[in-house]
Amino acid sequence: MNILLTLRVLGALLLFLAAALLVPIPFSLFYHDGALWSFVISAAVCLVIGLALFRGCNSNKELSLREGFAIVTFGWSLFALFGALPYVFSGAIPSYLDAVFETMSGFTTTGSSILVEIEALPKSMLLWRALTHWLGGMGIIVLSLAILPMLGVGGMQLFKAEVPGPTTDRLKPRIQDTAKLLWGVYVLLTAMETLLLMLGDMSFFDALCHSFATLATGGFSTRNASVAAYDSAYIDWIITLFMFLAGVNFTLHYQALRGRLRDIYRNEEFIFYLAITFGATVLLVILNQGAVYHSVVDNLRFSAFQATSIMTTTGFATADYEKWPVLAQYLLIFLMFVGGCAGSTSGGMKVARILLLFKHAHVQIYRLIHPRAVRLVKFGGTPVDREVMQSILGFFALYMGIFVFASALMAASGLDVVSAGASVIATLGNIGPGIGSVGPIDNFSHVSDFGKSVLVGCMLLGRLELFTVLVLFFPTFWRK
Amino acid sequence: MKILIVGAGQVGYFLCERLSFEGHEVTLIDRDPDHLRRAQDRLNVLGLQGNGASAETLEQAGIKNCDIFIAVADLDEINILACLLAREYGVSTRIARVKSIEYTGGGAVLSKEKLGIDLMINPEDAVAEELVKIACRSGAFDVAEFVEGQIQFLGYRIGEDSPLCELTLRELGEIRGIYRFVVTAISRGGRTIIPRGDDTIQAGDSIFIFAHQKDLPTIQYMMQLKEEKKRRNRRVFILGGGRIGLHIAEELERLHFEVRLVERDLARCEKLSAKLKRTMVIHAEGTEIDTLIEEGVERADVFIAVTGNDESNILCSLLARQHGARRVMALVNKPELLTLAGSLGIDACVSPRLAAAGAILKYVRRGEVISLATIEGSNAEVLEIEVKAGRQVIGAALKTLHFPQGAIIGAIVRGQNYEIPTGDSTLEAGDRVVIFALPGALAKVERFFE
Repeated sequence: MNILLTLRVLGALLLFLAAALLVPIPFSLFYHDGALWSFVISAAVCLVIGLALFRGCNSNKELSLREGFAIVTFGWSLFALFGALPYVFSGAIPSYLDAVFETMSGFTTTGSSILVEIEALPKSMLLWRALTHWLGGMGIIVLSLAILPMLGVGGMQLFKAEVPGPTTDRLKPRIQDTAKLLWGVYVLLTAMETLLLMLGDMSFFDALCHSFATLATGGFSTRNASVAAYDSAYIDWIITLFMFLAGVNFTLHYQALRGRLRDIYRNEEFIFYLAITFGATVLLVILNQGAVYHSVVDNLRFSAFQATSIMTTTGFATADYEKWPVLAQYLLIFLMFVGGCAGSTSGGMKVARILLLFKHAHVQIYRLIHPRAVRLVKFGGTPVDREVMQSILGFFALYMGIFVFASALMAASGLDVVSAGASVIATLGNIGPGIGSVGPIDNFSHVSDFGKSVLVGCMLLGRLELFTVLVLFFPTFWRK
Repeated sequence: MKILIVGAGQVGYFLCERLSFEGHEVTLIDRDPDHLRRAQDRLNVLGLQGNGASAETLEQAGIKNCDIFIAVADLDEINILACLLAREYGVSTRIARVKSIEYTGGGAVLSKEKLGIDLMINPEDAVAEELVKIACRSGAFDVAEFVEGQIQFLGYRIGEDSPLCELTLRELGEIRGIYRFVVTAISRGGRTIIPRGDDTIQAGDSIFIFAHQKDLPTIQYMMQLKEEKKRRNRRVFILGGGRIGLHIAEELERLHFEVRLVERDLARCEKLSAKLKRTMVIHAEGTEIDTLIEEGVERADVFIAVTGNDESNILCSLLARQHGARRVMALVNKPELLTLAGSLGIDACVSPRLAAAGAILKYVRRGEVISLATIEGSNAEVLEIEVKAGRQVIGAALKTLHFPQGAIIGAIVRGQNYEIPTGDSTLEAGDRVVIFALPGALAKVERFFE
């Protein structure tokens, strides 16, 4: 571990955060919401500490794998710790822990909130909330890679550690170019959604914030009642569509923009993702018909929205699914575990991993019947590396282990059985709302400080896909 | 014609034998003096020791007056380079054996036109395609197609339980009713004869017939044994996962066969499994019969042994037959073993050498001969000839012409119609005639149509 180099890069990331904190300032000036100085002071704090680290720690060595893990994990922690400052300075969220929870939930695109009265926040603060989603969705470090040439060395480690999914696609030989392309697609889709939402009579501000939250599969809304507040079928469907798109591997969007549609319908993960989303919607419609909704059109609108929102781990709500039949709720819990595609902005375990787990199980059973047959797990026609398969099995075991352990901690913090499990899966999967006392119309304000700290950890673990964070807890990681 | 052949390997040797037998002037170039001596001692060819890709050697061999250049050395690069040189010397027909997919594949950057090659032949692909064809025609051990597939040339082995056993051809003619086909040849004890009406078909014979494509189902029904029912899933076992085995598996997979591929090398198994879609790849030796039985060799319709070893191909296919595989085929490289196959009870033995040589001969003799196939285990050939306008044979009844001994016309195709010829049949310009010819009669047949 090269501590000096790590600190230097972390300093650079803080400088980047300082720049990001300047974005809400024009909004604050425009709306005269009185939050101006909290952003200025926060940016100044980041700037000073960032510069001190960047200038103070000099190292001309190259980034290695280990520094990559440390930078990504500590970088994300720093973003949550310093990104929380404006909430505290402005008094919008008086408790620092609550502010960190809110910021971590933002950056990790979880969307769980401790705020009871969202609409009371200054406009610029609401924008900052949405902006944390948007920056975290595609990956702040990936963005920094694209912008800061100084991080160029060993960039692939950082990229790998931050981009979700079992394997990483490289669109261009240079990692910075790949990062720029992905961010380009991301910006384009965000702009499209903002425009379409404005056509549905949403204000520019609300449209922008909701687009940030949709494309990042975050889930922070500017309204107390989330998207339900607009009560518009048009807005619901637009957001459903863009939530679905945000759950797709962004390299596929890039291929689609280049006109290579064949890559899309040949992509096994995408087909499976489409099938699950579609199948879940149909099942929910059947379960809810008559029991909750009487009009098929309404039923379809709400079922599709909730299914997509949970599947892509966005967490917007237009209906209180806790009033749905138990089986329908159970189906949503299943979707919480699955998540979106690898390489998307969504959380969860990822469709690719689930698909490969099933294929692996199938091969195991096949081998019992044909012991001498040689059969490989294939994905999209090509065999999956043994190492990738093993890491997926390890990931699954760890995911389940952490889920059980953290649920126990949440139960110890005073939550009931259902809420304890649901709060962990909602944060570990970066979804947002869970079930029980942390359901879609509730929030996390009633959770104890200990419980909030556990959930903050879960969000970070979920966003960085376990290994990147857990590797830091191995003593050998720190030895030379 | 003056023919220059580079490479005195199996294909080269076989080509020399055939072409010199037909009276062509053949010069053979090879680096290995032993190979050359073997060819020169037994065949009527001129041998020259040297590198086939060297201009000096080629000039020595008289490339300037050469009509046909055939490069069948072991290395692709030598063959390609030799053909490029031959183009520079103005040889009109250039043929090369090329094994690498890089040169033969559809998307090859260097196409055969750019390389100056008229015919690019890959023995392994040729033999794999032949095996696939035989596997698809249930019952037949040799298949060749003529006149765009309309006329099929099929070989059948007659077992003791065959319904055709002990029948004379005249009797067969009476029972075959409306199904039209011609028994052109009977192969018995390594000798091939053109039968007459009073010749009997005996157990152990191989018979060769011509038939039109649309009569095939009825003929197959007639040839097959009573208890053999049509099964829905045709199961194929392939032994040996080399390039030939992989090629066959890919083809049969595409034709919806249930394919099981047996390979003894684990690393190769994984590669095969990665390349194939539905085929079950089994890691085992061909002689591990217990494993094969467990995976269902007893109910296999076809067993194809294509390992690199002739002996194990023959033995393993016999073993599979003993355990119930319905039809077995083996890849056999050694010419000495080719004739053995029939007597042992292997349904088809194919050799990459014959497959490649057949394709090359077909190309060399093009002109009036449109298509040609060589017959397993004998030197007999089947030719397709187009009757050109203004020839003497036009208009007269066949019985009045002196059709050469040792050859027989199997079918006359005129536009969409076809005819099984009798003595009264006549030929017209534009007809396509399919002829079976024993080796001695080949030249006479060609002369007959000139």
